[in-house]
Amino acid sequence: MPWAWMRRGVAVADPVLQVRDLSIAWREQRVVDRVSFDLASGGTLGIAGESGSGKSTLARALLGHCRAGSAITGGSIRLDGDDLAALSEPELARRRGRVMAMVPQNPLASLTFHMPVGRQLEEVLRLRAGLSSGAARRRSLELFGQMGLPEPERLARRYPHQLSGGQRQRVVLACAIACDPLLLVLDEPTTALDKTTEAQVLGLIRRLRAARQGAMVIVTHDLNVVADICDRVLVMQHGRIVEQGPVGAVFVAPRDAYTQVLLGAALRVDEASRAAPTAPGPPLLEAAGLCFRYARPSIFRRAPPGPPVLDDVGLTLAKGEVLSVIGESGSGKTTLGGIVTGLLAAESGQMAFDGVALTARRTREQRRRIQMVFQDPLSSLNPRRRVGDAVMRPLRLFHGLDARAAARRVAALFEELGLEPGLLTRFPRQLSGGQQQRVAIARAFAAEPDLLICDEITSALDASVQAQVLDHLAAMQRRQGTAMLLITHDLSVVWRMARRVVVMQGGRILESGPTEAVFHNPTSPYTAALLDAATRAARAGHTEFREAIG
Amino acid sequence: MMRALLRRPAAMLGLSLVTLHILVAIAAPWIAPFAPTSLLDVPLEPPNAIYWLGTDDLGRDAFSRLLWGGRVAMLVAFAAGVVAVLGGTLLGLAAAWRRGIFDDVVMRLVEMKLAVPTILFVAIFVTGFGQSVPVLIVAVGIIQMMGVVRTTRAAGIVLMEQGYVRAAQLNGESGPVIILRELLPNVADLMAVEFALRASSALLLVSALSFLGLGISPPTPDWGLMVEDGMALLESEPALVLAPALCIASLVLGINLAAEGLADALGLDAARGGGG
Amino acid sequence: MIVLLLRRVALSVVTLFLLASFIFFATEVLPGDALDVSLSADELAMMSPEVLARRKTELGLDRPILERYLGFMGGLVTFDLGRTIITRAPVADIVAMPLRNSVALAGMTLLLALPVALAIAMAAAQAKGRALDNAVSGAAIIGYSIPEFVTGLLLIAVFAVWWPIFPATITASTDDPLSVLLAAAPLAIATTIIGSIAYLGRILRVGLIEVMAADFVERLHLSGIPRWRILWLHALPAAMIPGLSAAALYAAALVSGVVVVELVFAYPGIGAELVRAVTRREVHVVQAIALAAAVCVVLFNLLADLGIAALDPRTRR
Repeated sequence: MPWAWMRRGVAVADPVLQVRDLSIAWREQRVVDRVSFDLASGGTLGIAGESGSGKSTLARALLGHCRAGSAITGGSIRLDGDDLAALSEPELARRRGRVMAMVPQNPLASLTFHMPVGRQLEEVLRLRAGLSSGAARRRSLELFGQMGLPEPERLARRYPHQLSGGQRQRVVLACAIACDPLLLVLDEPTTALDKTTEAQVLGLIRRLRAARQGAMVIVTHDLNVVADICDRVLVMQHGRIVEQGPVGAVFVAPRDAYTQVLLGAALRVDEASRAAPTAPGPPLLEAAGLCFRYARPSIFRRAPPGPPVLDDVGLTLAKGEVLSVIGESGSGKTTLGGIVTGLLAAESGQMAFDGVALTARRTREQRRRIQMVFQDPLSSLNPRRRVGDAVMRPLRLFHGLDARAAARRVAALFEELGLEPGLLTRFPRQLSGGQQQRVAIARAFAAEPDLLICDEITSALDASVQAQVLDHLAAMQRRQGTAMLLITHDLSVVWRMARRVVVMQGGRILESGPTEAVFHNPTSPYTAALLDAATRAARAGHTEFREAIG
Repeated sequence: MMRALLRRPAAMLGLSLVTLHILVAIAAPWIAPFAPTSLLDVPLEPPNAIYWLGTDDLGRDAFSRLLWGGRVAMLVAFAAGVVAVLGGTLLGLAAAWRRGIFDDVVMRLVEMKLAVPTILFVAIFVTGFGQSVPVLIVAVGIIQMMGVVRTTRAAGIVLMEQGYVRAAQLNGESGPVIILRELLPNVADLMAVEFALRASSALLLVSALSFLGLGISPPTPDWGLMVEDGMALLESEPALVLAPALCIASLVLGINLAAEGLADALGLDAARGGGG
Repeated sequence: MIVLLLRRVALSVVTLFLLASFIFFATEVLPGDALDVSLSADELAMMSPEVLARRKTELGLDRPILERYLGFMGGLVTFDLGRTIITRAPVADIVAMPLRNSVALAGMTLLLALPVALAIAMAAAQAKGRALDNAVSGAAIIGYSIPEFVTGLLLIAVFAVWWPIFPATITASTDDPLSVLLAAAPLAIATTIIGSIAYLGRILRVGLIEVMAADFVERLHLSGIPRWRILWLHALPAAMIPGLSAAALYAAALVSGVVVVELVFAYPGIGAELVRAVTRREVHVVQAIALAAAVCVVLFNLLADLGIAALDPRTRR
């Protein structure tokens, strides 16, 4: 039915890439299901979706490649006149790198670790662009320079692990554009980067696009990235395209329910925060001057102490208050959580809990009163024990309940968190991610804590499930009057849950204050960059909307 | 799990070989036509209807000795396997749980063992403590244990990072509770595979030792010893050597095939786990 | 790099020190002392108590264990390995030539087995999951399921008895030049090689398969770099690393294999010497052989660590 895709408005003028009814199976399962789209020369298409949506599989297929175990089962990929789905491996190899090129997801793992990066770029230039070794060397330094890499000559001699995340991303980018391909596919180009570097790399990609004729496909889970550099977007779920169109149109008025959920999870600071206000209570947790660095004391390996992970960090948390700590990986936020829970011991600094000094050595009562929920829901439950059993343990340990009373309490907790009683006797693997995380929350609340530390508890969950888990957590917190330390990199979680926020970077607190004040008027450039990166999707919807209504 | 094994023909072959050997070893006193140590006064009889594999130079029935010959070696290998897996798992998990200096000491012991070839390790024990079945079990068990320590410690370190172990630590659960309740059930698969690999490696070691005269002592019927005794007669009576040799190889192969299938079914990597 | 080297050497010395202590205590801690167990009951009956006591004093067996331990360790530092109990010959003289012969056998094995194992592993990894790979994996399992003495005997049965092209046992003597010795031992070398190929091939195959599934291989593949180039230049050096990490295990297994094979073929190495010493309870000779083997394994492991440092820049600091 050639008109089916026409009806849905897939076609664009002057397409360089035409994908029609493409299906890819992994074993018996369809991971890409009858996907059709066009990409214009010079255009940039964003493929958005959550993990498992089939977007990376689709990206590799655009280079005619399927990983072991999967195969194209139908449809066509027309690029520059050829159907990639029908070409033989040697014919594909001739085109790869020259006609179509890929910037892979994880730059560190994607570079050969035992070879200097310069040689890796020269290899592409010599073998794929046909340059002599002298010319390849000159061209590689030139390309590194174009990528904004400092001191190309010195950098070329270094190994991948010696570069920063941003530098590695630029190196793989240089390798991919070395032969000036017609189609450039970027798979999650900014996921491994911090937000400041992300902005720089996106800027570089934008400049490259302006300088080149070719088309670009950007695969990402982050709608903010799509909003930033794509002109068309394609939203995938369970291997299917649920919606596609110009970025402005889709972001302003998403027609599909799933797209609406994804966009709904994006941060909108123009709307009022939904976090419940808390009456100022007496302080529950006071910390001052916390410092920490990793060093493994050992009689055989005397490692020098590393750089400080936490550097003079202090905060206070009132009874029943929700405080959020935002930061990216490496900011020290998880270490801070570890010190508060007692998993780690601070090198220096003081903490007091309810007026009593708090160290890494805890009393039983302190352990009961401070509980934690972890990032990965599956790994936070013992796979060999029934979930009801996991929740029962703290009840018996801390409250000395007998088996029957404990079982009653567990059932009550399950009900409060919207978990069916039938799940009690299941094993963790038989539960969905959202259910697992709610069981973990139930386990923490079983101890009847006064302080709950939540470390990135929604980052492993799908957008549609995140809201549900957060709502249950907020309701539970309000009912019990539990104070909460919410550690996250996701500003929309903060906006939803916390009235007060602390921003961390490089082991230090950059700024803190009421969430609305910080989000509307950030005082540090770093916070401003975080906010800018997190609100692009919402703003894209907005500006286009304003343009649309005149 | 059984179903996963059934779908793997190589694993089933292995399992059948092992079962057959175990059954024969258990039933040997009833099914062997002659007593394994009785001297029948007919030395070096070639294979015939009465003496299926002939008789050895002392006039003992080779077939009866073959049926008996796996008993002691299998006892030593399986006992050493149990010692190795139980001791090694507890030590490995404890090291993963405690880390620090205790872990360093344990790992140094493991490394030390790695530097001493297994046969020499047993030779040292035999020199110091004499040649007997209990000494063999302990020596072979310790050797195999160090390999188990390595794999279970590595698995334990991964498990220690899991949220459920962290949660138990935060609640102040004691070491034994964490090790037995949280860690141990999650290495059960690994222990099963390790047991098979250790038992097969122990069996190889025990037969080699018997062959060298450092393992099971005569007149106990034993495959390794039978090969050693029959070596000089390889030309005239090859069955005296080849039959026990084949028994050792088929039993070890059986265990290895079963272990490989088990590891594959459980998604573990036998090549990495084994060999130590 | 220098720091890394020094650290590894220091660690090896510590390991050897601990090993020497272990060897001493495991062999000498039991009360039945070396002289009693080395002499037969008849010999013991013939000796008068005075002679026995004098012999014990000569051997230092009447001293407390700690003193003997210090003496033993002191002797090691000056390369004095003691004398045998019965003949009073210096242990070092007894062990030296057999050790040379065994090291030659092991070295020859490694030299011949490594390229073959590598070729097999590469072929199998290229054909992962297909018939060739399954055949190689199957052969490897059979290869390491058969004890060395059985392999050796099978080779003798085929190539020396039924089809006599090689000698069954080695006629060369302990002090012959290595070339003569090794030329006389083709079946012995073949036996150790078979075990080594099974062992090395298996480890290298797993390493290669793992590396061929790595992200950097996929990136190169998607840049249109030819497969042979990816395999040789990018994957192979990376795949060698797990193999080198298992070097200590391999070296120890090789020594064990060599000991057994030497007895099968009457090869004049430390294997025969070891069995003789254990059965006669020549404690000092057992100690010397165990130590020599440990030194070899530790040295081999040290070399492997340096190899890893050369291949993996991440380990160089």
